[in-house]
Amino acid sequence: MSGAREAVARISEDVVTGEGLPAARAPVQQASAGWKVLPIVEGLVLMIALVLPWVLQDYLTVFATRVVILALFALSFDLVWGYAGIMSFGQALFFGAAGYGVALLARDLNVTSILLILPAGTLIGLTASLLLGGFLLLGRYPSSVIFVSLGTLTGSYAADRLARGWYYLGGQNGIPSIPPLTLGSYEFEEGPIYYYMVLGILVVVYLLCRFLVRSQFGLALAGLRENEQRIAFFGYKAQHLKAIIFAVGGTIAGLAGSLYAFHEGFVWPNMLGVVFSTQVVLYVLFGGSGTLIGAVIGTVIIEGVSFWLSDNYRDVWPIILGVLLLLVIMFRPLGLVSFVLGERERVGSFGKAPKSKETGHAAP
Amino acid sequence: MASTFAAVFEIVSFGAIIVLVVLGLGIIASMMGIFNFAQGEFVLLGAYVTYLAYAHGAPVWVGMVAAPFVVGALGFVLEALIIRRFYAAPIVAMLGTYALGLIIRESVRGLIGGFYLTVPEPIGGSIDLGSVHISAWRFTIIVITLVVMGGCYLLLARTSFGLRVRATLENPALARASGISTPLIYGATFAFGAALAGLAGALIVPVFSLFADLGIRFLIQGFVAVMVGGVGSFIGPVAGAGVIGTLSAALPWVMSPVVADVLVFVLAIAFIKFRPQGLIAGKGV
Repeated sequence: MSGAREAVARISEDVVTGEGLPAARAPVQQASAGWKVLPIVEGLVLMIALVLPWVLQDYLTVFATRVVILALFALSFDLVWGYAGIMSFGQALFFGAAGYGVALLARDLNVTSILLILPAGTLIGLTASLLLGGFLLLGRYPSSVIFVSLGTLTGSYAADRLARGWYYLGGQNGIPSIPPLTLGSYEFEEGPIYYYMVLGILVVVYLLCRFLVRSQFGLALAGLRENEQRIAFFGYKAQHLKAIIFAVGGTIAGLAGSLYAFHEGFVWPNMLGVVFSTQVVLYVLFGGSGTLIGAVIGTVIIEGVSFWLSDNYRDVWPIILGVLLLLVIMFRPLGLVSFVLGERERVGSFGKAPKSKETGHAAP
Repeated sequence: MASTFAAVFEIVSFGAIIVLVVLGLGIIASMMGIFNFAQGEFVLLGAYVTYLAYAHGAPVWVGMVAAPFVVGALGFVLEALIIRRFYAAPIVAMLGTYALGLIIRESVRGLIGGFYLTVPEPIGGSIDLGSVHISAWRFTIIVITLVVMGGCYLLLARTSFGLRVRATLENPALARASGISTPLIYGATFAFGAALAGLAGALIVPVFSLFADLGIRFLIQGFVAVMVGGVGSFIGPVAGAGVIGTLSAALPWVMSPVVADVLVFVLAIAFIKFRPQGLIAGKGV
């Protein structure tokens, strides 16, 4: 094989050996026996989220709803990167594609029922991620991490350009004034009801994800992240596992995208493009990749602080954000969550204890 | 005939710009294994330095000469402080350089505001060839690109510095054992790549004018070009840049620009998928 491929293979090998991955570098801190911090953190976050609409003014509830939707989006990226180690630099592609899809449904076919919109958005996310993931990840040779990350980035960038130039999709301005979601004759307006609906969806998806990553499938994924080659030697079809989790991530992103489109009332090309794609990377890295709650916390903190600072320090905030991100990457590769969450708990345990018959649900 | 010639010139000149931008990116990716997301911002900084010199009353070309040195020096410092930590992990390097790029871009945005600032061409006017008029500055860019390309090739292929760089790329442990200071070589290579980006920024700012997102425009195109050409050699990324630059300038002449824009990326990704080693496989120069 040629030298260039060797070079790429060398790069990817470095990754699969886990040398550079955040997990491997993490300082193992506090092996607190007995005390489980994770459920406490999760419970706290949920409690805060539940009482929020009562203490916030209305316009802040609207903002909080947006944050919850973005947290759902961040969850999708965390599954793909934090658990399976696939760097998806174009997660917004699925988010935005679903957003545009449901916006078109509402504009051209007058479909606004939540019972149709959410499945439609989810399906768009699933289809798009199956197609892109299938193309990038499957094939005779395993794709290098660099190829997958640049491929997803390019896909998202190309979609952005397409949406900008295509008159049918509204060009630069996107699709404005999407009507509100409906259930029968009820209209979901921005506000506490919408907030609780979105929060409910987030909680359900969160629990599903939690179940998924703690199952035997999740164990295989974690193995994939730490050492892909070894997982392949165990007889798992590593590429298939990756494609599956990529599609799951895309599905969740699609769900988030359709909620976002109806909540904001419009969609615009940035939703598909590099801006949102990198935004979600920031959330997850900041909060802590490889823990589901980290993605949620990262989203809340970044969005919250940026909302708080945007009045007075609009110009400086992106710079501060960049500096903070750089510091986190250099000194806290596991994100903010790692301040309270020990290594042992982050890795966690998987599924039930294996019985005599160990077929594993994971191997497809 | 005249319009065909004008079109060809247009295409070649855009191709040259892409090659110029990709040179630094390619050298860093090939020689160090790092996909530098801050490269676009180095281009932006080069443009900004040129603008600063011009705004303070110096001739434009002074800024253009200064830009590569300023950006190269910054690259050297950044490598020593930050990039050095990322060598083991290419994905983390991507994220780290992305953060770095974000800082640089937003700082420049804060400095220039949301404006499009123009910088005049140091060599204005046009060259007349019969009935065809071509921009003298764009022609100069083509010439400079060729010179820089040749210079880089000679530097890497014919000098002892180039030999050390290649040795460090090929086998860092052996290079260290042979008495080559690999950290210094990495630092110098990164600084060199950054300086090339600075030069590219300085040269293209009269064509595109200065705005904060100047670098992003080229970054993804640059990455795709590097992958298409093939990581690991000097000539690979340059060839890839030629192909991508020419395609993205030529396709809009035969189809709608929107479709052409997307088609280039789709074609490129498909090509890389089925030929991961790129157009020109091989290590070294």
